[in-house]
Amino acid sequence: MKRLRIDPRWPIQLARPVPAGAAPSCCSQIHAALRTFRPDQPFRAVRHQSTSALTLDSALEAAAADEPYDDGTDHVRFPPLERLPNATKLPSPLPERALTSAKLAALHARLSLPQKLPLQTLARALVDVSADENPLFNNVNLAFVGQTITHYHVAEWLMCRYPRLPMTIMYAAMKAYAGDEILHSVARSWGVESAAEPGGEVDPGLLQFSMYKPVSHIGFGYGRKDNSQVEQGRWRRGIANRVLFDDDFGEQIGHDTRKKAQIPTSSQRTFSYGTEETRAAAERAHAAAVRAVVGSVYAHCGREAGKAFIRAHILSRTIDVSTLFEFKSPVVELARLCQREDFEPPVARLLSETGRLSRTPVFVVGIFSGKDKLGEAVAGNLDHARYKAAMNSLKSWYLYSPGESVRVPSEMLVEGSKAWEPTYIDIGEIIHG
Amino acid sequence: MGVKAVHRITTGRNGLGAFILQCKKMDFHYCDWAGSSKGMNGFIKSILPKFAAAHPQIEFTVSPRPSKHPVITGHYINGRDKAICVRNLEPLQILKKVELLRDASGEKLKKVTKPVQSINESVRGIWSPYHGNGMRV
Repeated sequence: MKRLRIDPRWPIQLARPVPAGAAPSCCSQIHAALRTFRPDQPFRAVRHQSTSALTLDSALEAAAADEPYDDGTDHVRFPPLERLPNATKLPSPLPERALTSAKLAALHARLSLPQKLPLQTLARALVDVSADENPLFNNVNLAFVGQTITHYHVAEWLMCRYPRLPMTIMYAAMKAYAGDEILHSVARSWGVESAAEPGGEVDPGLLQFSMYKPVSHIGFGYGRKDNSQVEQGRWRRGIANRVLFDDDFGEQIGHDTRKKAQIPTSSQRTFSYGTEETRAAAERAHAAAVRAVVGSVYAHCGREAGKAFIRAHILSRTIDVSTLFEFKSPVVELARLCQREDFEPPVARLLSETGRLSRTPVFVVGIFSGKDKLGEAVAGNLDHARYKAAMNSLKSWYLYSPGESVRVPSEMLVEGSKAWEPTYIDIGEIIHG
Repeated sequence: MGVKAVHRITTGRNGLGAFILQCKKMDFHYCDWAGSSKGMNGFIKSILPKFAAAHPQIEFTVSPRPSKHPVITGHYINGRDKAICVRNLEPLQILKKVELLRDASGEKLKKVTKPVQSINESVRGIWSPYHGNGMRV
């Protein structure tokens, strides 16, 4: 798998959060000033006084607007039940509003997040890049950290648990545990609600994203020099190529495959809401929020807390990995496997049968290598039974596992851990065809 | 390539790793005039603050609903909600209803006839006529 982007030996601890009693007015001024800070622009020693004053003043004005929020109702006849937020032109709520949001505090407690993680960071984790472009106030960087940590822990757990898994199945398993679709599902299972439209006046406990702004979320990998050649099918994009260039799910970076939702179009699912693009945007935003929460746990609470969070929320989910396999020519592949491992060549034998001349025959076929039975299967005709038996034999080889509670390399980063015994590392999958 | 992959996703098992309480919000509606809301008003004054402090993962909303019976609505993570009218109940009886809402998942009530519900296949396997000693007729 790819090398780690961030070394987990370096726990990143952010500064302590601003206590709730701190002066709110100066905070909003600082936050407003940060809004005008553009880290991408080069530093200019000489600035035009007027333009800088304009931007700073307008930002302060927007932040400190005191006119009451106008939602179209008569506030005299029907006084609002709660204190409504001030009207504001800011794209996302001010961080200090995070301290007064009941939804956010409920989310913090529902996830049992440690007290070290402040509410302001959790609020930031719910602001998508399509809601607010400023990287100081959205979850892009937190999501990137969280994505890196998540992919590392999921990959290491899968590799130690299923050392012989073929690369394509490994990619599918990675996606099943840490892909956009499943993280969207995780966000919904946490009870994360989304605002109808992003803005500075929404509740900070809502996930803020825009379904209509096309934004690209960060991926990590290398773009190939000539993507067009690969698309046209002239250049091969094999597994080794994918491991080298593509992202952690084997998908191309910089290729516009991310426009569509992860659900394959060949599936029979029909949706009653939205369009393909809006569903994809919602999926990406929810997945980014989950990654951002993971990233914030890692940043505030350290490496082991991040790992424990991933284990509790992502790796506790289950999938039957044997259902991910789809073989092309299993009989040939099994023969090659036996050849490589110096087993005797596989022979299919009929173990039992019934009703050969009837409408519903049943054949139980076993594949033997010498005297050892590698696998067996039941089917309605002899060829189908042989193919199934070959598939079962290959699955029993590829799905070998030293157990669910296998030791992973990141355990050695903990002080006082036992001496490392090498895990089983496989020679590789069968390559043919 | 030899092996292709099928696209699938994992299934969550709430409680195995982390436990997410399924009740995410509770609305309490009371009335200052109606006599049926006397118990509810007492509940909100005396019992609700401690209950809310003990359940930080639930968002509580208290609002008047004039000239109506008192109602508690629980909102759940699966998007459904459950409303219970607590007219003419005493505060401790209302607490029992609130605990009922807290302990529920949002699923519709179903009659459970089987002793075991599981996503895992059976440990001993399903009987097959083609394996073992067969059937002597």
